Amino acid sequence: MKLNIEGLLVYFPYDYIYPEQYSYMLELKRTLDAKGHGVLEMPSGTGKTISLLSLIVAYQRAFPLDVTKLIYCSRTVPEIEKVVEELRKLMEFYAKETGEVNNFLALALSSRKNLCIHPEVSALRFGKEVDGKCHSLTASYIRAQRHSNPDQPVCRFYEEFDSVGRQVPLPAGIYNLDDLKDFGRRKGWCPYYLARYSILHANIVVYSYHYLLDPKIADLVSKELAKKSVVVFDEAHNIDNVCIDSMSVNITRRTLDRCQNNVDTLQHTIQRIKDTDAAKLREEYRRLVEGLKEANVARETDVYLANPVLPDEILQEAVPGSIRTAEHFLGFLRRFLEYLKSRLRVQHVVQESAPQFLKDIFEKVCIDRKPLRFCAERLQSLLRTLEIADIADFSAVTLISNFATLVSTYSLGFTIIIEPFDDRTPTIANPVLHFSCMDPSIAIKPVFQRFQSVVITSGTLSPLDIYPKILDFRPVTMASFTMTLARTCLCPLIVGRGNDQVALSSKFETREDFAVIRNYGNLLLEMSAIVPDGIVAFFTSYVYMENIVASWYEQGILENIQRNKLIFIETPDAAETSMALEKYQEACENGRGAILLSVARGKVSEGIDFVHHFGRAVIMFGVPYVYTQSRILKARLEYLRDQFQIRENDFLTFDAMRHAAQCVGRAIRGKTDYGLMIFADKRYARADKRGKLPRWIQEHINDGSLNLTVDETVQLSKHFLRQMAQPFRQEDQLGLSLLTLEQLQSEEMLKRITQIAHQA
Amino acid sequence: MASLSEEVLLVVKKVRQRKQDGTLYLMAERIAWGPEGKDRFTVSHLYSDIRCQKISPDGKAKVQLQLVLHTGESTTFHFANESTALKDREAAKELLQQLLPKFKKKANKELEEKNRMLQEDPVLFQLYKDLVVSQVISAEEFWANRLGGLNNAEPAPYTNKQEVGISGAFLADIRPQTDGCNGLRYNLTTDIIESIFRTYPAVKQKYSENVPHNLTEKEFWTRFFQSHYFHRDRINTGTQDIFSECAKQDEKGLKSLVNKGVKNPLVDLLSLEDKTLDEGYGIKQALPSTSNSNKTVKESSNAAIIKRFNHHSAMVLAAGARKNEVPADQASETSSTDGNSRDSDFFQPPVKKVKLQEAIEYEDLQRENRQKTVALNLKKSDRYAHGPVPLQSQKYTTSQDIINAVNCIRHEMANYKPNLTQVMSSTAASSAVAALSPGGVLMQGGAQQAINQMVPSDIQGELKHLYVAAGELLRHFWSCFPVNTSFLEEKVIKMKSNLERFQMTKLSPFKEKLQRQYLGTNLTGHLEEMLQTAYSKFHIWQTRRMMRKT
Repeated sequence: MKLNIEGLLVYFPYDYIYPEQYSYMLELKRTLDAKGHGVLEMPSGTGKTISLLSLIVAYQRAFPLDVTKLIYCSRTVPEIEKVVEELRKLMEFYAKETGEVNNFLALALSSRKNLCIHPEVSALRFGKEVDGKCHSLTASYIRAQRHSNPDQPVCRFYEEFDSVGRQVPLPAGIYNLDDLKDFGRRKGWCPYYLARYSILHANIVVYSYHYLLDPKIADLVSKELAKKSVVVFDEAHNIDNVCIDSMSVNITRRTLDRCQNNVDTLQHTIQRIKDTDAAKLREEYRRLVEGLKEANVARETDVYLANPVLPDEILQEAVPGSIRTAEHFLGFLRRFLEYLKSRLRVQHVVQESAPQFLKDIFEKVCIDRKPLRFCAERLQSLLRTLEIADIADFSAVTLISNFATLVSTYSLGFTIIIEPFDDRTPTIANPVLHFSCMDPSIAIKPVFQRFQSVVITSGTLSPLDIYPKILDFRPVTMASFTMTLARTCLCPLIVGRGNDQVALSSKFETREDFAVIRNYGNLLLEMSAIVPDGIVAFFTSYVYMENIVASWYEQGILENIQRNKLIFIETPDAAETSMALEKYQEACENGRGAILLSVARGKVSEGIDFVHHFGRAVIMFGVPYVYTQSRILKARLEYLRDQFQIRENDFLTFDAMRHAAQCVGRAIRGKTDYGLMIFADKRYARADKRGKLPRWIQEHINDGSLNLTVDETVQLSKHFLRQMAQPFRQEDQLGLSLLTLEQLQSEEMLKRITQIAHQA
Repeated sequence: MASLSEEVLLVVKKVRQRKQDGTLYLMAERIAWGPEGKDRFTVSHLYSDIRCQKISPDGKAKVQLQLVLHTGESTTFHFANESTALKDREAAKELLQQLLPKFKKKANKELEEKNRMLQEDPVLFQLYKDLVVSQVISAEEFWANRLGGLNNAEPAPYTNKQEVGISGAFLADIRPQTDGCNGLRYNLTTDIIESIFRTYPAVKQKYSENVPHNLTEKEFWTRFFQSHYFHRDRINTGTQDIFSECAKQDEKGLKSLVNKGVKNPLVDLLSLEDKTLDEGYGIKQALPSTSNSNKTVKESSNAAIIKRFNHHSAMVLAAGARKNEVPADQASETSSTDGNSRDSDFFQPPVKKVKLQEAIEYEDLQRENRQKTVALNLKKSDRYAHGPVPLQSQKYTTSQDIINAVNCIRHEMANYKPNLTQVMSSTAASSAVAALSPGGVLMQGGAQQAINQMVPSDIQGELKHLYVAAGELLRHFWSCFPVNTSFLEEKVIKMKSNLERFQMTKLSPFKEKLQRQYLGTNLTGHLEEMLQTAYSKFHIWQTRRMMRKT
């Protein structure tokens, strides 16, 4: 259908539309009009992606000069592929409606592992191996060596791409990962480099967060993306953790040992080169004197995305003299390494800030702040000069030099914690230096600064106001959308008591309490008897799940559950869990029914959907608080309190509730879907917890279902399931939660739609 | 003795039946008893006729064995050899126990099958009535090549009954009960044993390796329940345990399952993440690699339980699905031979595509919810349109030819100019039209159409039955040619007489009936013609045989 969104003609590739989709597009358009950032929460399964794509593509077509590119970031590979498929659908609709082939170029970009077509390289199993092998075949000096030595193996796909691939841009169209591979095979071009090259002129790029947020990758891939782009972070409820992860460094003894080896290797290489080809090193020296001026020019003219690891000041200066020659730099690295080794020889936990660390290093080994800041840049230059084939081997020294640069660049937002041993095993010495980022805004800041509109969206972003705070940006729109429903297809229930009136809670004091564990078991047992097909249960942590499963086994509860359904359990091993997941789906599929025991914050809770019969009920055992005793977390909480005035408890609850919402939201993936959401912990009833659930869940919790016993839960569930099992047709929805174009245009409906968006 | 070729499995002397001493014989297909001193059996039952056997209680003075037949009759044998009576009876019982189920299944299955076929196919039933009930041919003859044909075409959809799966909790059903004196009692039923075997093939293998020779059945199960294999939370202690190997095998099986990976990319957690952080980056520290060594016993036992549950569920699921997988495999193999499969992945969207499409679909946003249909995969649509053609006659008209022909005709019609000087006179033309109209001189054949109005419907029905029956008999007859074995010779002679009998008892009365009703048309002419052809064929064959013999 063709929609009129405040004067913008939007092609929407379906015959009907959900009211909230319309409302979502309105808000999105206002964000784009204002050239600002937005935070939008819309329930999963209400067609968020297609609304986003429809509107932004229409906007791009209407104002080609204002918005030149859409950068769509998602989290997992299947998500990325789904987005591209939806986009394909939209484009097909465009072609059908307008009758003209439009010249849109949209493509997905993923790591080499998912794009490589080289027969040997793509056979490798791990991403890192693929990257390393690829690098050893495509690095510039490897290819230069080939001129003198034709036996040197190179990648023919890259060679082919390099010689002709850049001359003609990729023909317009929609390229998913497999399409890129097909295209690459047909042409004999490397799909990965083709995609990386093509994102510069593509209208729509779909890739993973890391390509924008991880400075190490962003610098390679996304540096030159146009400023007038719209950036969308989908499934962004965890975006702060992604930011923090990309900026944090852990150093163990093993790292340092490997780093020592790296330095030795470098030493040998330098010695060898000095004997054979001293001119090369002299050339490098000259370049370093010239400084990083080129990069500076580029950044001033606003061509590049700023790299938070490479601060502005560096660009204006030349590399300091003390580390300019290769030998001096190695000596410098050695000293730094020795210093780190001495720091790891501690008996007690040390926590300090970056300035303290710098002061200490200056006093002990006379290392200045300035050369430290250039460490990462200097090492890159050296590795290039020395023509090191396999960069992967030098990951340790790269890590150390990145750490050096980071610690000397940021005085705020980071903390250094040195722990002599793991808390759980105090007898085994295993010293770790955590350099942890506490401020997610550091990594994301360049994105907000560079791009005209950044939209953060997800099914669960409540409370909305916390994201702008912790990511430090000023959104122009913030809205949460409810789910309009013709029938209440979700049923959140809070189970607070067992049948014996024992309060159910996963809080620390009652964690080992047999009465609680038994009642949890009873709850699962009773539910397994009444819920058809699949049930997914989430525990707060893996250890907790292990303990509960063990005592359920001892008490024979699991065996009784087995009478009703098969049991599958998530394990720390991803391959094993994948197998269990597939079997779980098979068991749901063939009518036997199954239960999946899983962990909040685990891989399953983050990336797997349980549509329709794969998840008719989700049970959340306990409140998934993060492990609060960790020093890193404590430091972060402190930082949040001091910098952003967010109280510790607020943040912890927010974090727990967003994970709980993610878990229970896995079961509802659309309006025709239905499912029970059972919160098995009495603490969920409290207003501060409940209030942090997304609005579309919150509004279906009625006061009567705040503190149920197991029996009452079973009764309510039975009732709910019986109602939901009735046939549900399109006509039932029409006019309420599903609109035709005429219905949408009616005055009354438009009034109702304005109420869907809840401005924060 | 009755027949020489029978294999005698067991001979028990001094067995009384109806107060008569005699000898009991257990043979490959039947059980028989003959009185002493006579060389014929007075009692003989096929195993398939026996419904069950009963034995007298241990304490009784008389050691007896009773056979109950399907017909309800029963025969009682009294083992009279004082010293070995009990042993004799046990031996006979054991053997019968093994033999009876085999035959029972076979017999029942056959009977059921026949019954079902007759019920489902009214034509066949009529045929059965015509031929067997009226004793034109015997029941065996009738079924002889029917069932054979059916057995070959086994996987008809309705014969494929749904396999009964295994309860997930079969191990829970054998909860031990304390017997009051420091012991545990496990109750095993054959169902549970079968479940265990189907779920854990390794145990079955152990069972077949050990049970009669090394251990008794009871010992085997006792050990099973004592083993850590059953109690998976106990960490491996002894190695002399016969089940430790099973555990290893299971482990291997699980590993291979895991290594096989998953077909559905949406649940593959390994490839979910696009770009992982390099080692050393990130907040969450990686688990130390030495974690296995410093894990407490409790932790690793917990992990073992979890593993076990995953494995158990997977095996239960697999045991239920095993039966269905086999034909699927075969189907895929056969389809790969027809030459189409080479590029079948071009036609069939891979799992990934399908799953992705499913994932992005909003069925309620689309207007018409069309029924999902299976796409027809055609590689050579030409072949589909024209059907299979024998290799020699490749000159079928292609659609292009037909179009050309039509065009040609159209062209000629367009250019048609009546040559008025050479037309027929109007009277000649009208008489030609009259002759060509229905009822006209040249359309006499049209009378044939009326046959269904001329003949009453009951006669029509009878005629149909006759045709079917005759066809069946003729099929039997012709299937004997070329006659190259003595069996076929016998059969062809028998069939000839069957045909004659058919003509006598069925066809002739029908003919007379027709004549009585003054139905002029010769309805049975064709039938007789067919029979005549068969007879003449028979005569030719017979004279040839005679000639060869002389």
